[in-house]
Amino acid sequence: MTATLPRPSAPKPSTTESSPRPRTVVPESLTRRQRLSRFDTKASPYAYVAPFFILFGLVGLFPLGYTLVVSLFDWDLLKGQGDFVGFDNFAAVLGDRFFWNSIFNTLSIFLLSAIPQVIGALVIAAVLDQNLRAKTFWRMSVLLPYVVTPVAVALIFSSMFNEDYGLFNNLLGSIGLDPVAWKHDVLASHIAVASMVNWRWTGYNALILLAAMQAIPRDLYESAALDGAGPVRRFLSITIPSIRPTVIFVVITATIGGLQIFSEPRLFDPVTAGGGERQFQTTVLYLWEMAFQRRDFGEASAIAWLLFLLIVGIGIVNFLVSRRIATGGAPRARRPRGAKAALAVATLPLSGATEPLAAPVAAQTPGSPSATSSTPAGSTPAASDPEEDVTA
Amino acid sequence: MRSERRIRAVAVAAAAISVTLLASGCSASGGTASASGDDIELTVTTFGTFGYDDLYKEYEAANPGVTIKATNIDTGGNARTDAFTKIASGGLADVVAIEEGWLGSIMEVSDSFTDLKDYGIEDRKDDWVDWKYAQGTDADGRVIGYGTDIGPEGICYNGKLLEAAGMPSDREGVAELLGGEDATWQDYFKVGEQYKAATGKAWYDQSSFVWNAMVNQLDEGYYTADGALNVEGNAELQERWGWLADAAAAGLPAGSPRWDWNGGTDFVNGDFATFMCPGWMLGVMKGSIEQGGGDASTGWDFADVFPGGAANWGGAWLTVPTESEHPKEAAALADWLTQPEQQIKQFEAAGTFPSTVKAQDQLAADATPNELFNDAPVGAILASRAKGVVAQFKGPDDSVIQENVFQVAADQMDSGEANGDQAWSNAMDLLKELIKE
Repeated sequence: MTATLPRPSAPKPSTTESSPRPRTVVPESLTRRQRLSRFDTKASPYAYVAPFFILFGLVGLFPLGYTLVVSLFDWDLLKGQGDFVGFDNFAAVLGDRFFWNSIFNTLSIFLLSAIPQVIGALVIAAVLDQNLRAKTFWRMSVLLPYVVTPVAVALIFSSMFNEDYGLFNNLLGSIGLDPVAWKHDVLASHIAVASMVNWRWTGYNALILLAAMQAIPRDLYESAALDGAGPVRRFLSITIPSIRPTVIFVVITATIGGLQIFSEPRLFDPVTAGGGERQFQTTVLYLWEMAFQRRDFGEASAIAWLLFLLIVGIGIVNFLVSRRIATGGAPRARRPRGAKAALAVATLPLSGATEPLAAPVAAQTPGSPSATSSTPAGSTPAASDPEEDVTA
Repeated sequence: MRSERRIRAVAVAAAAISVTLLASGCSASGGTASASGDDIELTVTTFGTFGYDDLYKEYEAANPGVTIKATNIDTGGNARTDAFTKIASGGLADVVAIEEGWLGSIMEVSDSFTDLKDYGIEDRKDDWVDWKYAQGTDADGRVIGYGTDIGPEGICYNGKLLEAAGMPSDREGVAELLGGEDATWQDYFKVGEQYKAATGKAWYDQSSFVWNAMVNQLDEGYYTADGALNVEGNAELQERWGWLADAAAAGLPAGSPRWDWNGGTDFVNGDFATFMCPGWMLGVMKGSIEQGGGDASTGWDFADVFPGGAANWGGAWLTVPTESEHPKEAAALADWLTQPEQQIKQFEAAGTFPSTVKAQDQLAADATPNELFNDAPVGAILASRAKGVVAQFKGPDDSVIQENVFQVAADQMDSGEANGDQAWSNAMDLLKELIKE
């Protein structure tokens, strides 16, 4: 909205008309042009961004509103709209143990996927950030799992996690361990589903983090190395603090994706909707069962809205955290070193621990407050702190 | 049978009507295309192993200008989801196969389907066994489905495994072993315990199919004939659940994952010796055994016996949704596909047992041996198993009660998580939570 640059609108007509005379002789035509030009200046930016908002309204806002309407009615999938029931559907869902079971499963699978995923992506990105031969080959290789469709991934993993003949249980058996009930045990099934998510997303996130790492000035590393910091120390004290905003971005997208996980648990056991006893039934899968097996569109819409509110809630927490980091608020004492901060970032949406995150950056950015806000991928002032640490 | 000329006449008539009635933009292209008398595309949705592929080609060859675009969905459960979604949102095929288990839900919205009496189904009423035709008729007397197959159940058994256990392995011997004409579930489970004692192996794949058979052979299942829920306090059901629980406690079910059977390998590795076999299951088994690397030497056979009397599981109808743009042509195709001649071909391709009397008699007379099942005359056996089958009223949530309530509880017994009483009470809890009356 305000981001558009001021255009040199006024001079334009006069330069093209070459002399000021026509302006007085035929004022109407010129005024029209001027008006047109002014209108163009003011309105066209909106026209340029309009397609997105029109599409968003059609496929985003309208369904959202309509879902709310449906959730207020007794609404059968086949028979359609029934009586108005107010918030009865919401009450029914909130009192439904399977809904809470699905929330638990979703959060559990989310934790099991997000934490190893961010840590793994960080490590992979750090390795790729080194001077490797055939850089592009390695970078493309980590992205490969992302290219494979989730359906194929789910089919292959589902076969590898087969309880009787699967690869993993065979491996366990060959070292003398008992087979694991991957599709019946709650925790085991969550690990299995999370491993599919991790397989798909770790490489993708690693590339995003790698892009951020590449923006860190190399002289920082050199001087740290001169001061005797080893590779691990440089990673923990320079790399991680510098890419913190990007880590937050990765965590936010992983949160949104993780809370909407559907195809992996759906296809992990294609015959049931998330396990015979809902061991790995996520909220979206429960929504699906409610809508298309039990045919209760009203309650399904209520689930959709509750899930939406949950995601918005977590999103707001994320937003507040990132804003504090950007503006760099409280003058707090210097806080944990890189490693601890990175861990705090990884667990952030659930612990809600905003303080330890905001503090280190706040301490780092007294010189140029704009640095972290405008360039997410690390910047010089952000690294001054670890450098001090190293020399101290 | 429909002659080519008549199809053309019908097509031209339909085109004329559609041109005069529908002036809207979206139908314009379809109207002009069919006005020239050709290029009608009929979409068909089936599920499981339907055996129609060759019949589509035959129909296309006999009816130039008609092309058939077929979609087959892997299981009946997924086909149900597909059909329900599209009834709500649009996009149903011109011919949609529906299954007995969810017929009750479909009947609640039977006005979404064309009354086939408009296309002369009444003239064919006597073709079908009477209960099949009656099941496809809604409360207002509209007939919405051409019956395809029915699912009379027999017992599939692995002759080699029974022989290894010192039991009779020929078809007559097995039928006798399980109690012959008056076979009861007690007989079936008793022999199972003997087999288990002799071999240490499971007797059947998993409990939910056995339970399904037990429920289906009752006069009234999960619903009473007038449509009331009929589960809680139902002594017949509870008694049978007790038998099933005892059998599970004795280790008779193998706990094999249904519809997958570990990629069919459980059929081949001899994990269990018997299996509940409605006609269409023979086609499913064939696919599964082949997937698992087995063949005729694996030892499966088919006996003319079923515990507790005649039972029917499943069977399908071909319907024509009202949203079809070519209802006449779609009805003609569905009509043709369900003629006795075609039902016999369907049986040969997929093992689905015909619902028309003439085709049943023909199969009984032919007694063609089935190579995969030790040359058993499966057609004749199924015709015998079809005797005494009565239709059971299927309510709106029948398939949900089977799959989301009792199947879950049956699995708990199979895995040893719950004994019979606990599993039953879990099922009752689930029923209350999942089914709104």
